[in-house]
Amino acid sequence: MYHTGSFINGPSLIYNLDPRIKLAVTICLSIFILWLKPLIVVIVGIALFCAALANGITLRTIGQAIKPLLFFIVLIFLVHLLFNEGEALFNIPYIGISISYTGLQHGFFVVWRFLCLIMAAILLTLTTTPSQMIAAIKYFLRPLKLLRVPIDDIAVMIMLALRLMPILLTEKERVEIAQKARGYNLRQSGYIIRIKAFFSLILTVLTGIFRRANELALAMEARNYQRGERTSLVELKLKSSDYVFITFLSFFFVIFVALNSHFG
Amino acid sequence: MITLENVYYKYEPEGIDALRGVSLQIREGEHLALIGPNGCGKTTLIRHLNSLLLPASGKVTIGGFDTKDAGHQADIRSLVGMVFQNPDNQIVGMTVEEDVAFGPENLRLPTVEIKKRVAGALARVGISGLACRNIENLSGGEKRLVAIAGVLAMQPRYIALDEPTAFLDPAAAKRVLDIVDKLHSEGVGIIHITHNMAEASLTQRIVVMNEGRIYLDGTPQEIFGKIGLLQKIGMQLPQITELLIKLEESGFPARTDIVNMEDALEEILFLIRKNKD
Repeated sequence: MYHTGSFINGPSLIYNLDPRIKLAVTICLSIFILWLKPLIVVIVGIALFCAALANGITLRTIGQAIKPLLFFIVLIFLVHLLFNEGEALFNIPYIGISISYTGLQHGFFVVWRFLCLIMAAILLTLTTTPSQMIAAIKYFLRPLKLLRVPIDDIAVMIMLALRLMPILLTEKERVEIAQKARGYNLRQSGYIIRIKAFFSLILTVLTGIFRRANELALAMEARNYQRGERTSLVELKLKSSDYVFITFLSFFFVIFVALNSHFG
Repeated sequence: MITLENVYYKYEPEGIDALRGVSLQIREGEHLALIGPNGCGKTTLIRHLNSLLLPASGKVTIGGFDTKDAGHQADIRSLVGMVFQNPDNQIVGMTVEEDVAFGPENLRLPTVEIKKRVAGALARVGISGLACRNIENLSGGEKRLVAIAGVLAMQPRYIALDEPTAFLDPAAAKRVLDIVDKLHSEGVGIIHITHNMAEASLTQRIVVMNEGRIYLDGTPQEIFGKIGLLQKIGMQLPQITELLIKLEESGFPARTDIVNMEDALEEILFLIRKNKD
């Protein structure tokens, strides 16, 4: 099951890369995806998809990651489809909106770009353990230490947020089941009852989460957690495979930029 | 040595007296069970052992360090590890090795030492194969072992376990108890809160608490020999001891100070043979 902070345990080519390289490449790639011409983005998307499959990410996992965003994807597509001017392919009767080829094309390319961004994020998160990711973020935020920004505390906060995410979902499911077990049948209830049940659910989940967060804070204290600098299990060290990957990727970036200017 | 001298503790703002003059000494390498009815102060007591709670009055010293001395907090927390009742509320990392590394990272150890300690702790509880597994994909028993490994990575001399077998199936509970036994045989002092009398009977010493005070203190044989006093506070005996008492009440001259399965079996076989003769 895919959820925030989940990852695939290697070994895969990308899994073994330095997390700083992965994070930097993902950021650069995201900018590229937004900047490149639509046809080149199609090639980049196919390459990303192949890279995901080659690194053990299944179609099902990709589907699970995209599913929560499906509403926005459809919405983006519809907005571009319905509000783009161009030669009408056909008209929708009664509401006076026409579907144009330009709208269809725009909708497809915008959605494709969005999917490419999601694929890049999936590739990064599923091949990097949270502690590797945090170590990489800490590395890039290091200059902020000069401004007395508490980098180590921020890193622990990210780690705890990732940890509490699945706990929050479990807590929500637990309360929902408990409500159903006591005869709450929301599907057959009116809106008022549904809203009441929603607030009762939120309140119970929040109470549970605060209790758990309190326990977690105690457990952290028991293991000698104190604010400030900590060392890390993750050793950030560039290997020869990282250099090979950067060279290989730079080569492709150059090709894509060349193709982009050719099509332009 | 862990020493509690006349310790009092009150939960504010409720004003509940959780500990009322507790005095106790726990030797290094000792295996002690802490039993008593709900709300008697067991958890409050063990939270004093790694300075999560500080006494309102009285004194707690761990290996010579006073828990009120903030300068020795890291030393105290390295000496006494704490395993909470619900591992889900104790596990901080997203993967097994990340969580086990949390304590050593807080001790600001170098990466090489952290890796060594993580590998060592996982091996001690027999879950080296789970090192890279996501916490969410583990069973309840495995999570409990991760919690123990997380504490072991800090190389404590004592481990306080708050109901380590609660909510576990018998096989997982046995696995956890075997690990606890192994750690004790390696010289780690164990302070074990339990409601399971069979578990308590496997320790060297039982401390019974009631209403924030030490009610009884002795070996399992001594404690389970005081049936009347235990029943007075709603405590039960190990099932095996209850069986022998029932046998005695039925006219068989069985010993009733037996608390473990092996001795009970021997006694029952002896009674059968004697009856045949």
